[in-house]
Amino acid sequence: MNKKIRIVGILALAVIWLGLTAFAWLRSPSELSTSERRPLDQFPELNAETLLDTSFMRKFEEYTLDQFPLRDTFRQIKALFHYNVMGQKDNNDIYVADGYAAKMDYPLNKDSVEHAIKQFNIANRLYLQKNNCKVYATVVPDKSYYLAEESGHLSMDHEAMCRMIAEGMPWATYVDITDALKAEDYYRTDTHWRQEKLLPVAEKLTQAMGVSAFAPESMQISSLDRPFYGVYHGQAALPLAPDTMEIMTNDVLKECIVSNAMGEVLYKGVHDMTKQNALDLYDVFLSGLEEPLVIENPNAKTDKKLVVFRDSFGSSLVPLLARDYAKITLVDIRKTSTQITGLGGVDFQNADVLFMYSALVLNGNYI
Amino acid sequence: MLFSSIPFLFYFLPAVLITYFLVPKNCKNAVLLLFSLVFYAWGEPKYVFLMIATICLFFFCGFAIAKSTTQLFRKLWLTVSVVVSLALLAVFKYADFFIESVNAVTGANLTLLRLALPIGISFYTFQCLSYTIDVYRGTAPVQKNIINFGAYVSLFPQLIAGPIVRYVDVAKELDNRTHSLEDFSLGLRRFLVGLGKKILIANQLGALTEIFRQSGEKSVVFYWMYAIAFALHIYFDFSGYSDMAIGLGRIFGFKFIENFNYPYLSKSIAEFWRRWHMSLGSWFRDYVYIPLGGNRVSRWRWVFNILVVWMLTGLWHGAAWNFVLWGLLYAVFLLLEKWVPALQKMPAILRRIYVLLVVVLGFVLFNATSLAEAVSDIGGMFGFGGVPFVNGVTWYYLRSYSILFVAALIGATPLVKTVANKVSQKTVGAVLEPVVLLLLLVLCTAYLVDGSFNPFLYFRF
Repeated sequence: MNKKIRIVGILALAVIWLGLTAFAWLRSPSELSTSERRPLDQFPELNAETLLDTSFMRKFEEYTLDQFPLRDTFRQIKALFHYNVMGQKDNNDIYVADGYAAKMDYPLNKDSVEHAIKQFNIANRLYLQKNNCKVYATVVPDKSYYLAEESGHLSMDHEAMCRMIAEGMPWATYVDITDALKAEDYYRTDTHWRQEKLLPVAEKLTQAMGVSAFAPESMQISSLDRPFYGVYHGQAALPLAPDTMEIMTNDVLKECIVSNAMGEVLYKGVHDMTKQNALDLYDVFLSGLEEPLVIENPNAKTDKKLVVFRDSFGSSLVPLLARDYAKITLVDIRKTSTQITGLGGVDFQNADVLFMYSALVLNGNYI
Repeated sequence: MLFSSIPFLFYFLPAVLITYFLVPKNCKNAVLLLFSLVFYAWGEPKYVFLMIATICLFFFCGFAIAKSTTQLFRKLWLTVSVVVSLALLAVFKYADFFIESVNAVTGANLTLLRLALPIGISFYTFQCLSYTIDVYRGTAPVQKNIINFGAYVSLFPQLIAGPIVRYVDVAKELDNRTHSLEDFSLGLRRFLVGLGKKILIANQLGALTEIFRQSGEKSVVFYWMYAIAFALHIYFDFSGYSDMAIGLGRIFGFKFIENFNYPYLSKSIAEFWRRWHMSLGSWFRDYVYIPLGGNRVSRWRWVFNILVVWMLTGLWHGAAWNFVLWGLLYAVFLLLEKWVPALQKMPAILRRIYVLLVVVLGFVLFNATSLAEAVSDIGGMFGFGGVPFVNGVTWYYLRSYSILFVAALIGATPLVKTVANKVSQKTVGAVLEPVVLLLLLVLCTAYLVDGSFNPFLYFRF
């Protein structure tokens, strides 16, 4: 009797397996993974050449992984099992501590930081020295800097990275912003910091640069309707509640004009509200990584200029530095962006210059 | 193609099963041959022609041996098959190793061939060899149908990572085998258990060994964690694959030999090798050790036989000196066990610890990319090189992987199987079994969907 029950049970299992197979074969492929913010692989080209060089096989495997039915559900099952049953402290290097998802970016990648410093020195030699610039530098701490020790996870030696940057750029004034932040100043599901929490950081930077920041009481905060599922939400594959995104503005910022490198005006104010439906809601801040961008402030207290070498963290912070600057130019010299030798069109003459990259970018061979 | 991949589990396997069970009995071997060649070509489209040529050649040699009327011609065809199979291995697997060794010793600058290693060549050439040798010895019948012979050589369940199935063991099943729902369900159960061992345990332990390799902050405890993790990783990886192969064989009506029998419970190195990769051990015993004279020879000749067999066993695993040394390490301990009876008189617990120590250190040597790395790793395990005893990184991974270690250590004993067998005899067990297996399938699929490429370790052999 037991043998019959077992056989029937296993045959039922085989039927479920076949059902999932049929689902995988017959479903129409999706174009996009919203949780990962990337296009999904489509059925690869099949011909003699792709078969012989095995590229068809490789791409077919990628296609089947990308297009597998209930893909996000399966990823969530894996993450829950990995954490809760296997007792793993992280899932694909992502962990959750105190409700905050963070990346275990470890150890300090000295080669990557040194390469970034080398690039910054090239920028200094090519543009800054001869244009009488006052240069400042800072490193945006990763969220894990504030979480890892207490939660027992590994994190890079942030202080050592800051020392490397400070010592590797003796021609710049290093501004330490670590004590102006805490874990709650970052989104729970994303790498980035929350704009509405950045006034202390802006205060520190503007103070070092000899200008003033906006007074907190002058700022107006509003929430976006759409919930913000940050990048770690997709990567962690855990059932994390979305963040609420808040944006900060005031009368001065509302009058600012944002234009692109060709001088075309993109929008007024420092938030690109057309990005409210973008894959990444964070793109609301200065259109994401579109660059170089120029912010002109007709109500600036001085005619000073600021050039910021930055990554995406700069998009939410830089507007908060705008009170005394008539013109702020944002450039990015990461590998995927503008080449360092291609900044000839940027107006560096007598400008203040701020190098502000996040620890994640400096450590990840991105520059 | 990997068993532990979405294309295999949800495309290839369902397609082959549906086709196999739909076609009439006399077409089943042709279906297996065809799908096996597709399976092989998926990873090695060019080398599939080498496999077809090998099938044809050994089929012909077997036929010629059986049909030859004189001993001279029988020997001639056997010699042809042996020379061709050894030549295949020499060219595709060992040529660069020999050239590098000659260059290192003589200072010559011979050019390397740099040929890609055909997947599973060590397995299928050994299967072919066993066929012609057994036909020559008269212990196996000659196969007169090339489709059946091709299905035997290329049979995808055991094509790339064993077990090494001898022709004589499946000869009858190749010609005439039965299928039943019970075999299907037992095979499916075995396959899923193997899949779980591979994906849920072996791959995770493999990830830890990779983390160790890339870590710049090692400690004595981390070196030991790595060594134990690799020993468990290779066991679950290889025995998991064997389980999947045996399970698939059962579904198709074959009863393949077992390949592992809880080797980490052994109380001597000799016993370890009776429990670890059993199909390879018995192959070397029957086709190398005994023909060399086995132990029925003078003492020194016997020592020579042992050294030759274990050097070849090491070389079979890989074309590098660390594999040769790994094989010879076992030869030394096998000789010691014969010559130092005190080793066998120790309390059982001490004998088990002795075996585990030898095996774990042996696998560190096995997994090293160079002899220098092996020396460094083994030195690190004993505190040489100025590494701290333990550090924060070690603690993190120890805490993160502790449950996996416990699960793997328990899984390396018969405890789970014993409990599962007892429970499954009860009605509740019979009901629960498919539920547990479904859970395994879901979890393995979840890990595959979330994960990336995860090659089997034994592919390189």
